Amino acid sequence: MVIFDGVSKRFILRHERSRSFQEAFVNIWNRRNRSREEFWALKDVSFNVEKGGSIGLIGENGSGKSTALKLITRIIDPTRGKVRVQGKIAALLELGAGFHPDLTGRENIFLNGSILGMTRREMTERFPDIVEFAELEAFIDTPIKHYSSGMYARLGFSVAISVEPDILVIDEVLAVGDEAFQRKCLDKIREIKDAGKTIILVSHSLQMVKDLCAEAVWLNGGVVRAQGDSVKVVDQYLEWANRKNKVRLEGVHSKAQEERQEDYRRWGTREVEISRVEFLDGEGRPTTVFDTGDTMVVRLHYWARQRVERPVFGVAIHRIDNVHINGPNTKTSEYDIEFVEGEGAVDYVVPFLPLLEGTYQFSAAIYDYSCIHPYDHHDRLYTFNVQPKTMKERYGFLHIPCQWRIETKAPVTPRGDPVGRPSFQVRRE
Amino acid sequence: MADFTQHLGELFRYRELVKNLVARDLKARYKNSVLGFAWCLMNPLLMMGVFTLVFGVLMRNNIPNFPIFLLIGLLPWNLTASSVMGSMGSITGNGHLIKKVYFPRELLPISTVFSNLVNFLLACIVLAGMLLAFRVTLSPLYLYFPVILLIHLIFLLGLAFLFSSLNVFYRDTEVIMEVVMLAWFFMTPIFFNIEDLTANFSRLMYIANPMASIISTYRMVLLYDSPPAADFLLRTLATSVAVLLIGYWFFRRQAPAFGEEV
Repeated sequence: MVIFDGVSKRFILRHERSRSFQEAFVNIWNRRNRSREEFWALKDVSFNVEKGGSIGLIGENGSGKSTALKLITRIIDPTRGKVRVQGKIAALLELGAGFHPDLTGRENIFLNGSILGMTRREMTERFPDIVEFAELEAFIDTPIKHYSSGMYARLGFSVAISVEPDILVIDEVLAVGDEAFQRKCLDKIREIKDAGKTIILVSHSLQMVKDLCAEAVWLNGGVVRAQGDSVKVVDQYLEWANRKNKVRLEGVHSKAQEERQEDYRRWGTREVEISRVEFLDGEGRPTTVFDTGDTMVVRLHYWARQRVERPVFGVAIHRIDNVHINGPNTKTSEYDIEFVEGEGAVDYVVPFLPLLEGTYQFSAAIYDYSCIHPYDHHDRLYTFNVQPKTMKERYGFLHIPCQWRIETKAPVTPRGDPVGRPSFQVRRE
Repeated sequence: MADFTQHLGELFRYRELVKNLVARDLKARYKNSVLGFAWCLMNPLLMMGVFTLVFGVLMRNNIPNFPIFLLIGLLPWNLTASSVMGSMGSITGNGHLIKKVYFPRELLPISTVFSNLVNFLLACIVLAGMLLAFRVTLSPLYLYFPVILLIHLIFLLGLAFLFSSLNVFYRDTEVIMEVVMLAWFFMTPIFFNIEDLTANFSRLMYIANPMASIISTYRMVLLYDSPPAADFLLRTLATSVAVLLIGYWFFRRQAPAFGEEV
């Protein structure tokens, strides 16, 4: 159980403090110049998480999320108010904090375990599990300065998780290690959650917050803007963030974006951004109207303001009533892009569009290789239409190529008789 | 008070960490050196050689068994100096830990003192060898040794608490202390006999410098076969406990801010 009761946290900005006797001495004569620059990272924040509950903290950078986590884990104390925590905490704040490079994996497991407050007996008991989970059996007696960063993170996660916490505090750490291990970590976190433990998550991955947390708290400038059901709060936050973005973007290219500004959904850190999305037919002519079975090419123009390693381009198609139809990306298609820099375009080519008549919404996104960190996500910002020109099929929204066959004892006439006995064989492609 | 006992309980629960931090210190210190732990033994011998050469041969003196006399002063002094200097980095040098994980911060200066204690005890092997070699008679008075060491440690823990937290807020503590330690070294009867000073000076030194009392007591029991006077021992103990209490009070007062300041 975690209770925040009217919690405020003040920081005195660092450059104001006398860091040495010399400055302290000078400051005695300069009392007037010593303006105290204060910064309130949290202002009167209250929320609580029941035992077995799960809560996500969301908000922009500098909104106080990390401060809240540090208060929960007792790394810092509140200036005002009370933080009450019941139960053993495991914090995935920084994996492998306190590892010593000269010591072996084995020695570091014991060192790090004791930093997390475990006794030697507990550590000895859990040691085999830790090593197995980290998949480091072969390297456990190697000094960890020879480890790769992935191995390092794996070991850190395994040790941190072995505390068998009542409360698991996670701060954006899963963006490390390879993808298989990330999935393993997520599974482990879900397992801990299902075992009735409390989960507190800080993440920029709003999807993860929605998936993992029942509730969310939206912090803005150290103040709680909204709290409650995680899906609702995340949507509120998105709407607010996108409106804010819109204002910012309007100054840049106001006209081009005008028609989408009603429902503007866009987020990401913009190291690389999607500058334009173009719909083309098979011959490369711009169009937004397709026929079922047409070739559809969606050209994602990007602009990378810096070199970005291994980006993942992804798209998604939604029906107008928000039914999520698909969401492929270059990673799941095993199309690795080594890096992007400057301007360019990525084509999403559908050789045979299987959608039936209707209006569809199109999303485009660029993520980092872990698919957790968004560079630029355009959520349902684009629309295209499918109109029946040659396709006769009408029901539903998907054309699935099929064949019909009939088996009958009666003699089959080659031409179908529409009235009486159905006797046809249809093949559509 | 309830808070305080609760905190001590927490310290006890984390004893494993002290052990591991000490082990980390020692392993890391010797892992990359060819001679490894042999340095614990070599270092005091070499120091003793240098000091004997300077203060025993070049500048003659009439202290009998001078190398042993010197070593009994030098080893406790090294323990003090390395604990004080080491403690100053114990908080600031572990910022990555303090900012990421909660544990009782006291453990850092405590483990610094303890790892230096381990070094001291290893060096005492050399001292024991020397005592045997120079045929100083073994005496039951040696049982005083752990008692004096305990008083010495209480004093050191107090200093470690004080300087480790002071250095967080004033980083030039370390620079200042380098000079202070040098002065302190010369003001402590390590290579001279405190009785050789005028009575006034030696009294003053005993009062102002607990290390003078501690080293004199070590010498009394290890070298001169005379039991330390009870009131003298108690006075040293009282001073050490006072230093510990002040140091710990100061540390506890500052500790909550470590997470922001390191």
